[in-house]
Amino acid sequence: MIVVATNLTYFLANLFLDPRANYLQLRPPRTPEQIARSLAQYHLDPNTPLLQRWWDWISGIVLRWDWGYSPIGESVNTQIAFRVGVSAQLVVFSLVLSTSIGIALGVYTASRQYRFADRFHQGLSIITLNIPIVVASLVVVLLAIVLNQSLGSTLLYVAGAQSPTISGFWPTVVDRIQHLVLPTISLTMISYAGYHLLQRSLLLDNINSDYVRMARAKGLTRQVAIRRHGLRTSLIPVATSIAFAIPALFTGAVLTETIFAWQGMGQYLIQTISKNDVHGAVAVAAFGALMTAVGAILADIAVVVLDPRVRVTGP
Amino acid sequence: MTMNIPRLSPTVDDTAAELSPTEQRAARRQHMGRRRLYTRRFLRNKGALAGMVILAALVGFALLGGLVTPYDYADVDFTSLTSAPSSEHLFGTNGTGNDTFAQSAHGLQRSLVIALVVSLLTTLIAAFVGAAAAYFRGTTEKLVLGLVHFLLVVPSFLILALVSQKAGGDWRVLILVFTSLGWMYNARVVWSLSTSLREREYVQAARFMGVGSVRIVLRHLIPNIGSLLIVTFTLGVVATVQTETALSFIGFGVQPPDVSLGTMLSDGANSITSAPWLFYFPAALLTLLTISIALIGDGLRDALDPTSRSGGRA
Repeated sequence: MIVVATNLTYFLANLFLDPRANYLQLRPPRTPEQIARSLAQYHLDPNTPLLQRWWDWISGIVLRWDWGYSPIGESVNTQIAFRVGVSAQLVVFSLVLSTSIGIALGVYTASRQYRFADRFHQGLSIITLNIPIVVASLVVVLLAIVLNQSLGSTLLYVAGAQSPTISGFWPTVVDRIQHLVLPTISLTMISYAGYHLLQRSLLLDNINSDYVRMARAKGLTRQVAIRRHGLRTSLIPVATSIAFAIPALFTGAVLTETIFAWQGMGQYLIQTISKNDVHGAVAVAAFGALMTAVGAILADIAVVVLDPRVRVTGP
Repeated sequence: MTMNIPRLSPTVDDTAAELSPTEQRAARRQHMGRRRLYTRRFLRNKGALAGMVILAALVGFALLGGLVTPYDYADVDFTSLTSAPSSEHLFGTNGTGNDTFAQSAHGLQRSLVIALVVSLLTTLIAAFVGAAAAYFRGTTEKLVLGLVHFLLVVPSFLILALVSQKAGGDWRVLILVFTSLGWMYNARVVWSLSTSLREREYVQAARFMGVGSVRIVLRHLIPNIGSLLIVTFTLGVVATVQTETALSFIGFGVQPPDVSLGTMLSDGANSITSAPWLFYFPAALLTLLTISIALIGDGLRDALDPTSRSGGRA
């Protein structure tokens, strides 16, 4: 599936992107022959047949793990290697935060169904779930600017992943954290609500089931019964949805990375398309498909860990 | 208990005249009764009611907002560039002198039209394809499911960006692209529900009575998942608004000189400290739009689904 989807993207990208556009605005103006010659060394020359270019490209990947070059000669491999790390910082932190907040809130509100705390958090979650990502991130930026101005110094940076002039271990860590806080907040803000509402409704379905009543009958308190017995079954679908959210997070952080000027995968996606970088765009698509596969495997593992019934048939 | 509710008394019209009086009364009572029940359940949900009011206000603004101000969304007022809100320009102007009020009305209209049409089309396609795949079984089912699974793996955001950039931001092309990449997931949900519906007795009975396949799908399968489709439609509107503004924000959706809320937000983001009104108004409109429709969708689901107890979004 990954291979088919990647190849389809290759042909689509070739159909819609024209790498020659990158050279048309150079001064002094290049002749079409010069442009074609420059592009030919990256297997991007539109004059060679598409199938020929495709063969060069795919054999490069299979034989040398070389994902090709952008029209101006940057290696896709180096770009991706650098950007995956940048995106990973953002995604991992916000994933951990949003799932733990979401699940904790789900348990908290489900055990207080229809009381004030439940209704309040539910209303809040419906709002944050439906706030457009752009608006949420920009509001975070605005608040941070106000905060920085009132402090008179820059406590939280609104742009970039790191400052270029920092040296030493601890200053670097502090600097990274200063950059990381805002994007993580805005990513967490938009994604925790989904887990909260899902966890709440699943746990509510389980709270009234026989085995939770059994646990109560054994003498456990209501809280312990919910946490030990109700939570475990209702975590299974939540874990599945989290695992499948990982690929969406990697490329879905497009807007957050654009607004906070992080050089991550999402921003690379936009850049490749607007710069007619066929190979880069295809590599992003392949990365997305790979993440989907990884997510599916993680979901299976999570189900096996959480659900003893699945393990019965195993070795 | 049959006749003491005034709204339910039979009003005979031509189409119903062929039925016997009892049948006619029964049919009418059940029909009206269900609709009344749904309406009452929906109105009981205060959030949904608030959503309705907000949405009505927004639609009114989108349709009539252009009439209030003398400026068109494309007009340029060179005497006031980047001016703060005033009586002349209610929402202020942007860097090129466009009136933000007129632009907001037009952008909201653009976003609404795209979202409504796309969501309607994807719901219809999903309903027909999903139900037909379940009903015809065999090769058709395998082919459709294969196509759906394949399209789900394909990186749709990338293709959206590619095609809409090529199309130069024409909103009609956007509708086409959004629709063709948006129906798969719902089609799969419809398919899985229809696989149990196709075994029902009334479907069997219709088939043995010689009713055509297409007619069975349209008249017997799809109406029975109608409540799901209505909810899918409202949630689809929210999703489309979000995607459209996201694409327009990063520059791949609606392109200048046309305006949508996404392009306005992108303008506002660049001058968020120097001219914050360029951000506030489109951001507020957009947030109100998505939240109101989501509230309505929630209310509809609670009203239409008798088993929904938790009342939360899942």
